[in-house]
Amino acid sequence: MMARRMQSGAEVGDAYLVARAREGYLDAYELLVQRHSAMTYRVALRLCGNHHDAQDITQEALIAAWRNLDRFRADSSFSTWLYQIVTRQALNKVSRGRRADSLDLFEDVADPGAETAAQTERNLAVDAVTDALAALPFPQRAVVVLHHFEGLSYAEVASVTGSTVPAVRSHLFRARRTLGIKLQEWR
Amino acid sequence: MNDPPVPQQPARHLLESATLPCGADVDLLLEQVADGRGADLDDHQQECVHCQAAIAELAALWQPVTDLAGDPVPAPPGITATVMNQIRTLVHDVWYTLQTTDLGSIRIAARIVATLARDTARMVPGVRVALGRSTQGRLAALAERATFGHRHPHAAVGVLGRTAVVDLAVAVSYGDPVHQIAKAIQQHVIAELRDNLGLQTVVVNVTVDDVLTDEDGQ
Repeated sequence: MMARRMQSGAEVGDAYLVARAREGYLDAYELLVQRHSAMTYRVALRLCGNHHDAQDITQEALIAAWRNLDRFRADSSFSTWLYQIVTRQALNKVSRGRRADSLDLFEDVADPGAETAAQTERNLAVDAVTDALAALPFPQRAVVVLHHFEGLSYAEVASVTGSTVPAVRSHLFRARRTLGIKLQEWR
Repeated sequence: MNDPPVPQQPARHLLESATLPCGADVDLLLEQVADGRGADLDDHQQECVHCQAAIAELAALWQPVTDLAGDPVPAPPGITATVMNQIRTLVHDVWYTLQTTDLGSIRIAARIVATLARDTARMVPGVRVALGRSTQGRLAALAERATFGHRHPHAAVGVLGRTAVVDLAVAVSYGDPVHQIAKAIQQHVIAELRDNLGLQTVVVNVTVDDVLTDEDGQ
């Protein structure tokens, strides 16, 4: 009897899946979506500030990436390219005047009655960071999210945002000070 | 001998200053703390109470950001299915197998054929990754040509009637006999599609386009 083995495509690189997706293998793209949807949603959530917009942005970004697969250049990584797309989609959404509410992923399922003092404190901290982040101009917010939340290097952030390393660093200097002052007021 | 008293640096004052009394740049200290290098004191900082106090204050201030950044954020449930459904709608991937019985007709979407073929291929020993798309050969090719220009270039053409041609792209383990794996894939997929979907004529094209070592994908 044939051995029952399940593969999810985790063993192959993105470049392989992108090449197959371009040839019409939709399930190759499905594997890419499975692999990168959490990152896409996470970035969208940090940039726009609420779950519902983040979900919309995630869907729009992943569909936009598929539509433009033939424009993807293999000299950059698929994830870097996707960071570019989701950041641009978030900017579009934020520019349309949506208000950023909260970065707390669990806001919809929280049970206030069951909150401990520590959880309350934690939620207040989340709200404080959320508000401080939402108050930043989008370019500063984007570099904070990409560098401090996603762990991208200055050079990678510059690549994603179409900027330069000195400009990224300058945005970060200003953003950190602004965030720090907001957080100090909260304390 | 007692250590000198550590000067207090209210965060607000600190963040509105360009430098500390010792001349240290506040932006650089905040960068150091925010990048998680607050404990990596340089020679000056190891001796400077101003820097040590400022780093401690900034680290406490930045901690909520670090905490939030470390929170795991899973993808929303169902997001992959939602995205792929929209994409399949965009490519008009709506071809069906069609069987007429005494009780009525049975339609099975082409992507179901492709998915079943792919999943069957993945269970064959030696197969590391399998990707499937289904075509109906000549008939589907004609249909595709007829609608050329209205379909997305990434469209996968489906199946019609009780005939299907399935394309499988697979990556196999390095060192395994490729032709035997490919043959096994064809046999298992054909049997699966006949038994489970009732397709009579099934052609399975296998393209082995990558060989992976154990280190790949690590």
